[in-house]
Amino acid sequence: MTTQTHGPHPSLDDPSISVEDVVRESIVDAVPVARTEREAEFYTLRDGELLLNMGPQHPSTHGVLRIVLKLDGERVVDIDPVLGYLHRGVEKLCENADWHQAICYTDPLEYVASLFCEWAPVVAFEKLADVTVPRRAEYIRVLTGELNRISSHALYMGWFALDLGGLTPILWSFIERDEIVEMLAAITGQKLLFNYFRIGGVNGDISHEFMSRLGDWMSRAGAQIEANQGLLNENEILVRRARGMGVLDRETALRMAVTGPNIRASGVPFDIRRAHPYSVYPELEFDVPTRQEGDSLARYLLRGDEIKQSLRIIDQVLHEMPDGPVMATLPRLIRPRPGRAWAAVEGPRGMYGTYAISDGTDQPFRMRIHDPSFVHLQLVSLLTPGNLIADTMAIMASLDPVMGGVDK
Amino acid sequence: MSIAVVTWQRLNLLGRILAIVVPILLALGLVTIGVAYVAGPYAVGFLADNVPLLRFVAAIGAVLLLTIPTAFIVIYLELKVIARMNLRVGPDRVGPFGTAMSVVHGLKFLSKEDFAPTGVDLRVFTLAPVVVFGGSVMTFLVIPFAPGLFGLDMNVGMLYLFAMSGLTVVGLLMAGWSSFNKYSLLGGLRSAAQMVSYEIPLTLALVGVVLLAGTMSLNQLVLAQSGSIADWYVWRQPLALIIFVIAGIAEANRSPFDLTEADQEIVAGFATEYSGMRFGFFFFAEYVNVFVVSALIVTFFFGGWTAPFDWPFPVVISGIDPLAWGVGSLIALLLVPVVGTLVLAAPFWLSSRISTLQALVIGFILFNVVAVGLLLGWAFVSLDWVTGLFWFFAKSYVFVFFFVWLRGTLPRVRIDQLMGFAWKWLLPAALVNIFVTAAVIVIVNS
Repeated sequence: MTTQTHGPHPSLDDPSISVEDVVRESIVDAVPVARTEREAEFYTLRDGELLLNMGPQHPSTHGVLRIVLKLDGERVVDIDPVLGYLHRGVEKLCENADWHQAICYTDPLEYVASLFCEWAPVVAFEKLADVTVPRRAEYIRVLTGELNRISSHALYMGWFALDLGGLTPILWSFIERDEIVEMLAAITGQKLLFNYFRIGGVNGDISHEFMSRLGDWMSRAGAQIEANQGLLNENEILVRRARGMGVLDRETALRMAVTGPNIRASGVPFDIRRAHPYSVYPELEFDVPTRQEGDSLARYLLRGDEIKQSLRIIDQVLHEMPDGPVMATLPRLIRPRPGRAWAAVEGPRGMYGTYAISDGTDQPFRMRIHDPSFVHLQLVSLLTPGNLIADTMAIMASLDPVMGGVDK
Repeated sequence: MSIAVVTWQRLNLLGRILAIVVPILLALGLVTIGVAYVAGPYAVGFLADNVPLLRFVAAIGAVLLLTIPTAFIVIYLELKVIARMNLRVGPDRVGPFGTAMSVVHGLKFLSKEDFAPTGVDLRVFTLAPVVVFGGSVMTFLVIPFAPGLFGLDMNVGMLYLFAMSGLTVVGLLMAGWSSFNKYSLLGGLRSAAQMVSYEIPLTLALVGVVLLAGTMSLNQLVLAQSGSIADWYVWRQPLALIIFVIAGIAEANRSPFDLTEADQEIVAGFATEYSGMRFGFFFFAEYVNVFVVSALIVTFFFGGWTAPFDWPFPVVISGIDPLAWGVGSLIALLLVPVVGTLVLAAPFWLSSRISTLQALVIGFILFNVVAVGLLLGWAFVSLDWVTGLFWFFAKSYVFVFFFVWLRGTLPRVRIDQLMGFAWKWLLPAALVNIFVTAAVIVIVNS
């Protein structure tokens, strides 16, 4: 977005106008030159309207998102998300790395649940290279993935409360996340960007420390998560602020290609683990929770339901995990056959997809990354207008975008 | 060279400073004595004629001195209590248990740059924190802390109170408008809307209390409630208490009604562009307001400084009245510290292997603790204003804790819910309370 700041301000030559006035005026009128019809419409202010620039430094824009609000008093008339403050060109970087290295570039895309950003490309590359993953490795992937899903959802519930002004839940939800992250650090060595999945398996078997921590946590996880949700779920203020807020109906959700908990909260039981099964999910028993309301509260509560299902999956995985190797035998430098592969996994925010094209060399020819946060961020400008400023936060937090994934 | 110059050159720095300062002090002292000698009788006469004026000035000084420690204590409580609720430790580095944290906060504000951004209306911008802080400090003036311990016993104390809290709105609006920032403007307008809405139920809730007591003076209100716990107005005006607490939270801009500084929405609201001590004034004013609202709840509904049950104190313990001992008291004053220290140090000196000096230090510290404890205990049982202060602060800090607790628990309400709640629920409830109270009073009296 370019602003009209080229060259000196015309009135700077006029001695009768003070510098103060010029600065003041330029702050007030910093309206960009419209490049599209949508921008032209957005930046034309009617009487009584006000542009408010929220971000990229703002307490509650989940990273470096900038949203321009067009306000009529407290009411949001229109909203324009401005992206690109965290753009790193990951897809291009991946094209200049070999197949193994590409995984660690996709890892930090979504820093809250980074295992899923590894999982999608790994599956795509395995399809290209015709690798069969050992069953123990698949079980470990499911186990760590579900743990990561719980940690992400726990953090989401805290964020949601924080964006509605509640101080305590975020710190309570960090108890769960800390415990899970410590567990994963015991086998991956990292606490945020695990970089654990490899083409053909995982990097190292699960350790004794991991198992003892996991057993310890599983014995009290259910009760603890219940307690955390008990802080908020029936809080009158939270329910009144979230119910009926930002209603995403079934048709719009399907039209906007929403995935994950957000579409399940609108009544569409779409879960890639069931719809397009991968890994060992077909052998595991779990439900796909849905809610019909499609509002912020439904999206929030659905995450709680999903945590329970994840705990169920972890329980089964721990009982059924076979012995064996955790890594397929592969050459150090792989050169898949020329071709294309698409793989998608169900992450805590929706569908993470990777579309990889191989030209037979040791590097991807093209790598396309589909991130759910980007899709969901588009909903903000659909759902927000007509509500109040405070609801912008309630709606955006309930959609749960992570800017690392949006800007790639 | 004259002898004066030579003498001057032979002096070191300290000597030179003294050589300048001492004559000035001497001269000032002489002038003061002279003025006092000439104008003293007139001044004493003037002050004797204008005791209320003297009292007013003294009260304002005392109130200003009182607000800072009050704000410090409330800030520390908030930091520590919310930390505990968040399963954190909270401040624990500065001072014992982190108690000096608020002082460090204050010093931090003082040491920061006093920055005013381009485009602000500097005069209004500078004046706004003063108005806000002044508004909340001046409410202290009419609060009765203990029997006989109040700034002013106004017969329109309650009206004065609301006038002063209304002044805060003006300050916030000034800050929001002059900051030249859209977040500030939104925050200022929110505060205006919120406070104007909540001022009405806040005022109307107390009409019932006024009808019962027949006075608007806060001191008289407390006296009307003295006796036992059954005489408190909380039993006769429970609805008014609920309305007053809710509206008071909104009036003090506290969570869940802290919309004016909702950081998730409008960054810091009216205070967005403020830094340094200017922000410090807003900060202190907020916490002073918390205490003021708690103190008002206690004054109006929980009997102010009166004890909750039939309190046998103050009692005059005639034997311990030191003034009656004459010269004996002087000797006691000389002997008691020495003997006490030695007696308390003796067990340590005898039983463990610490040195004599260490034992004496321990004994001295113990003696101080015991002496201060005894002194406070004596004051508590024999001075009625100490007892009053104790009960007043004990009750007030219960409500301060309640406010902090709310902040740690609840999310924030939305602006339309906030306004709707004030006008649709609190205002009708306050009116119903007035009618019911008035009807009951008429029926009982007839």
